[in-house]
Amino acid sequence: MFSPEMCLWMIPFLPLLGSVIIVTLGRRMFPDRCHVPCIAGAIGACVCAVVVFVGVISETTPLRFGREIAWIQVGNFSANFSLRADGLTAVMLVMVTFIGSLIAIYSAGYMEVDESYPRFFAAVSAFLFFMTGLVLANNFVLLYACWEGVGLCSYLLIGFWYEKPSAAAAARKAFLVTRLGDIGLFIGILILWHNFGHSLEYDDIFVNVKAQYDAGVLDHNLLYWACICLFIGAAGKSAQFPLHVWLPDAMEGPSPVSALIHAATMVTAGVYLVARCTPLFGLAPDAQLLVACTGGFTALLAALIAVTQTDLKRVLAYSTLSQLGYMFLALGSGVVVGEHKLAGLAVTAAIFHLFTHAFFKALLFLAAGSVMHAMHDVIDMTKFGGLKKVLPITHWTFLCGAAALAGIPLLSGFWSKDEILATTYEAWHVSGGAASGIYCLLFFTALFTAGLTAFYTARAYFMTFHGDEKLPPEAGEHPHDATPIMAWPLMILAVGAVGVGIVLGPTHLFESVLEKKWITAQFAHLASPHSTNLLLMVTSSVVACIGVGIAYWLYVADPSAAASVASRMASIYDLSRSKFYFDEIYELAVVWPMNAFAFICRVVDQYVLDGLVDLFGQVPAVFGYLVRPVQNGLVQFYALLMALGLAGFLLSVLLR
Amino acid sequence: MTHPYATQLFDLFKHLGPEMTLIVFACVLFVAGLFRADRAAWSLLAVAGILAAFFVLAISPRPQVLSGDSVFAVPLVFDALGNFTRVLALSTGIILVLLAWDEVPERHVADHHACLLVIIAGVNLVGCSNDLVTLFLALEMISIPTYILLYLPKHDDAAQEAAIKYFLLSVFSSAILLFGFSYLFGLTGTTNIAAILQTLHNAEEIKASQGLAQIAMLTIAAGLGFRITAVPFHFYAPDVFQGTSTSGAAFLSFVPKVAGFIAILRVFGFVLPAGVTTPAERSLVGLGLSDQVPILFWFLAALTMTIGNLLALLQDNLKRLIAYSGIAHAGYMLIAVASAPYLSGPDSATSGVAAVLFYLVAYGTMTLGVLALVLMLHRDERPVENIDDLAGLAQSHPYLAILTTALLLSLIGFPLTMGFTGKFLIFFGAMAAQGPTHLWLYPTLAVIGVVNAAIGAWYYLRIIAVMYLRASAKPIETPGTITCLIALLVCVIFTVALSVPPGASWLMNVARQAAVR
Repeated sequence: MFSPEMCLWMIPFLPLLGSVIIVTLGRRMFPDRCHVPCIAGAIGACVCAVVVFVGVISETTPLRFGREIAWIQVGNFSANFSLRADGLTAVMLVMVTFIGSLIAIYSAGYMEVDESYPRFFAAVSAFLFFMTGLVLANNFVLLYACWEGVGLCSYLLIGFWYEKPSAAAAARKAFLVTRLGDIGLFIGILILWHNFGHSLEYDDIFVNVKAQYDAGVLDHNLLYWACICLFIGAAGKSAQFPLHVWLPDAMEGPSPVSALIHAATMVTAGVYLVARCTPLFGLAPDAQLLVACTGGFTALLAALIAVTQTDLKRVLAYSTLSQLGYMFLALGSGVVVGEHKLAGLAVTAAIFHLFTHAFFKALLFLAAGSVMHAMHDVIDMTKFGGLKKVLPITHWTFLCGAAALAGIPLLSGFWSKDEILATTYEAWHVSGGAASGIYCLLFFTALFTAGLTAFYTARAYFMTFHGDEKLPPEAGEHPHDATPIMAWPLMILAVGAVGVGIVLGPTHLFESVLEKKWITAQFAHLASPHSTNLLLMVTSSVVACIGVGIAYWLYVADPSAAASVASRMASIYDLSRSKFYFDEIYELAVVWPMNAFAFICRVVDQYVLDGLVDLFGQVPAVFGYLVRPVQNGLVQFYALLMALGLAGFLLSVLLR
Repeated sequence: MTHPYATQLFDLFKHLGPEMTLIVFACVLFVAGLFRADRAAWSLLAVAGILAAFFVLAISPRPQVLSGDSVFAVPLVFDALGNFTRVLALSTGIILVLLAWDEVPERHVADHHACLLVIIAGVNLVGCSNDLVTLFLALEMISIPTYILLYLPKHDDAAQEAAIKYFLLSVFSSAILLFGFSYLFGLTGTTNIAAILQTLHNAEEIKASQGLAQIAMLTIAAGLGFRITAVPFHFYAPDVFQGTSTSGAAFLSFVPKVAGFIAILRVFGFVLPAGVTTPAERSLVGLGLSDQVPILFWFLAALTMTIGNLLALLQDNLKRLIAYSGIAHAGYMLIAVASAPYLSGPDSATSGVAAVLFYLVAYGTMTLGVLALVLMLHRDERPVENIDDLAGLAQSHPYLAILTTALLLSLIGFPLTMGFTGKFLIFFGAMAAQGPTHLWLYPTLAVIGVVNAAIGAWYYLRIIAVMYLRASAKPIETPGTITCLIALLVCVIFTVALSVPPGASWLMNVARQAAVR
C-alpha cells in the first residue's frame, strides 16, 4: 500500500479529495471546520511526498506510475496519465507539500470564519492538487493541464474578496497576463511534438533531441524557438519581464495565498519548467543567454522598485520577482563550452535557491500577514512602526526571514544566492566572445542586486519593527500577536529559513540528490564537476552587509537622512516609486488599443454578426413551421404518407 | 429417414432457455393476476423473471455448433450479436419494470408486466433470428403485446386514441414488411436469411434480378423504418408518445428501435452469420446488390435526423419532444448504417455496425433516464407535461436537476457523456467512409449530422435553461417513487461511466465482437 509508486498518485489525490469533500459536504455539514479536510489532505500528501523522496533516493531509476493509462488518443497523438518522480520532482514535492501544510494550518487561524470560509480551503486544496500534479507530470500535456489548473486556482484566490474592485481587477490581470505566456508554452509544446518524435513524454523528446544532436541533424533554429516559447510560458507564470506586471497586484489576495502561491510554489513553476527542460536548453545556448538576460534584468528592475515601496506586501512581491529573476539567471548560465559543462551546476543552484526561497519568502509573507492581522488590514509601512514590542513573535520570525533573504552569511539565502553568483561567474569565465561580456555584465548586476536586496529587506524590517512605536487608528489600543495556530507555522518556517541552507548547502546534500537522481541519469553530457569559490562568498557577504548597513543608517540611526537622500535623487526615486511606469506604459500600448479593437468588434458583432446569426437561427424554426401541418393527427393521413413515402423511394430506384 | 439437420434443429431448444424462462414467468403473471392485484408482488416477480432469464443466459451451454452448411438450415443463430441483443433487452426490461412500477393501475400490473416479459422475449428472438419467418414472428411477438401494453396503464380518450393509432399503423407496416419478405422469398426460394444473403452475393443471379431485389430491400426498409421511426414512417411517434402513459412512451422510445435496428443488421447482412462466404470482390456487407441500399439509408438518415430535429424545435410538450428527439437520434444511427459498408481498413464495416450498437445503448440510457425524471416529478395535481413545468427544479431539487442535466448534455453530445462518444464514433465513421460514386457523399452526411446536432443542442439546452434560470409559481413537490429514482440513477451512471475508458472501450469491444461478420 505505501510503496513509493502508490504514494505517487496519492500525493495529488489527497488534496483533491480534500477539495471535493469541502465542496460537496463541507459547506453544509461543517462550514466552520472546513480547514480540516484541507490540512489533512496537505499533511497526508506531505507524508507521501517524504515516502516518495526516500524511494527516489534509494532507487536507481526514476519512479513511474501509470504509463499505460491512456487519456487522450486521436490519430498519432496520444497523452497518458503518467507520473514520474526523480530527484527534481522529489525535492519539489517535499517543498510544495511541506510549505502547503504549514500555510494551510496558518490559514485556519488567519481566515475569519464567514460564508466564504469553505471556498478558500476548497481552492487551496485544489491548488495543491494541481501543483503536485504539475510537478509529477511525466509529459507536457499533463503538465499543461495542471499549469492551467494552478492558474485557475490562483485567479480564484487572488479574487477571493471579489467584492473589492481592486481584487477582482488584480485577479483578472493575473489570469490574462499568465495566459499570454501560456500561449507561448502551448506553441512550444506543439513545436516539440511536431519535430521531435511525435511524442509528448519528457524522456522521448529529450532522447530524440539528443539523438538528432549526436547525429548532426538537429535543427538548431527550431530548438531555439521551442525553448523560447517554453520560456515565454515560464516567464508568464514566474512573472519575468515583460510579463511581470501581474504579481505585485496579486497581493490583493489573502496573505496565506500570497505566501503559498505567489511566493513559494506556483510562481516557481516557470523555474521548474525551464529546469526540467535543461536537456533542451543546454543544447540551445542562445536561448540560455536570453533566459539569463531576462532573469538578470528582472532581478535588478524589481529590486530597484522594491527599494521605494511603502506597502509591506508589495516590497515582498517585488522581492519575489527579483529572486525569481536570480533563479532564471542561474538557469541561463548553464552553458556548455567544450570541457566546461555548467548545466548541472546551474540547475542545482536555481533549484536550491527555489527551495530556500520558498522557506524564507513564505515566512516573510506569513509574518506580513500577521502584521496585517494585528493592524486590521493596514499594510502601509508609513502608517505603523516600532512593532518590535507589540508583536514579539512576528518580529523574531520576520527577522529570521529577512536576514535569510538579505543574504546574511550562514543563513539559507546566503548559500543559495552564492551558488547562483558562482554559476554566473563561471559562465563569464568559460564562455567566449560576446557571451562572455554579457555574462560579466550579468554577474555584476547580480552582485549589485544582492546589495539592493539586503537594503530593501532591511529597510522593510526597520520601518516595520524599529523606531518609535506607531499604530494606525484601525488597529485599536492593543493589537494582538499571532495566535498559536499561526505562530507555530511561523516558527517552523523560521527554523527552516535559518537552517535549511547550512544543512543542505555546504554539505552538498541537496546537490547530491539532484545530481545523482536526476542530472547524471538524464543529461550527464551537459554537466561536469565544479568547486566552491571562497572569494565570491566573502564578496557577497560584504555586499549584503553594506546593504543592511545603509538601511540601518537611513532608517534607524538617522531617520531624517532617508528623506534627504530621496530628495537628492528625486528623479530616480520617483521612477522607482512609480514602478518605472510599467503599468502606465502597458495601459497605453496594450490595454487601450485592445479596448478600442474590442469596441469595434463589439459593434460589428452586435449589429452585423448577431443579425446574421439570428437570421440563421430562424431558418430551422421556419422550416419546422412549414413541415408542421403534416403532423395533423389523422391516422389515415399518416398511413397515406407512409405509403406515399414508400412509393417515392420505389420510384426513385426504378426510374433511375 | 431422419431430417439431415435434426441435431442442429433440436439443439436450438438448449439455447432458448432465457426466452422460455421469460415466457414461463409471463404465463404465471397472466394467471396469477386474475386472482390478486398486488403491485409490489407482481413487479418483483417480473424483475425476478428477468433476473432468472439473465441467470439462464449466463449458464447456457457452450456456443452453438454449426457444422458445414447447417447455418443455411437453422432458423436461429446464437452468435455475439444475439447475446448483445439479449443482454440489452433484459437490462432494458428491468428499467422498464421500474418505470411502470407505480404508474400502472394496480389491477393491471400483472398483465402489464406479463406483456413486457413477452416483448423482451420477442426482442431476444429478433436478435437471434436467421429466418424471415422467425424474424417476422419475433417482431409480431413484440407488436401484439405492445398494443395491450399501451392500452393498460391509461384509459382516457387520448390514451385510447394513441393505442389505436399505433395499432393501425403498426399493422400497416407489418404488411409492408411481409410484402418485402415475400419478394425475397420469391427471388431466392428460401426464407433462411443466411441462404438468402449467400444467394444474393452470387454475381450472376444479382444481374438477373437486381430490380426485384431492390424492391424487396426498399419495402423491408420501409417496414422496419416504422419501428425505428425513420422519416416518413415516423408520424405515429409524437401523437402516441403524447397520448400514452409515460412508461409506455419510455417503452416505445427504445424497445422497437432496438428490434428494428437489430433486424436491419440481420436482414441486410451487415452482420453475417458464421458460414456465409462472400466473394472477395463483393466484400461489402449489406449489399450483394448494388450501391442502392447504402444510398437508401443515406437518404433515410439525412431526412430522419433533419425532420426530427426541426420539429423538435417547436415542441413544448416534453413527451412530444422526446418523440422527435428519438426520431433525430434514429437518424444519427442511420448515418452509421449507411456508412458501414464503405468503411475500409483492417476491421472495415465492423466499426460502423459497432457504432450503431454503441449509440443504441447510449440513446437508451439517456432517453429512459429523462423519462424516468418526468415520471418521478409528475403528479396529477401538479402535472409535468410541458417544458415549462420543469421551471425551478434546480431550486427545489438541485440533485435531480444535476442528474437530468447530465442526461440532457449527453443527448446534446457533450464530452464526458455517452452521447458524445457515440456521436464521435458515428461522425468520424462517416468522415472516413469511402463512398462509391461521389467522394464527398459521406463527409457531407457527417456535416449534415453535425449541423443537426447543433440544432438539437438548442432544444435540450432550453430544458436546462428552464430548470436553472426560471422560477416556478408552484414549486414541484417531493418526488415519490423510489423505483424511478433508481432507474434515473442507473441511467446517469451508465451515461457517464460508459463515455470514457475503461467503460467506453469495454462497450466498444463488446459491440465490435457483436458486429464481427
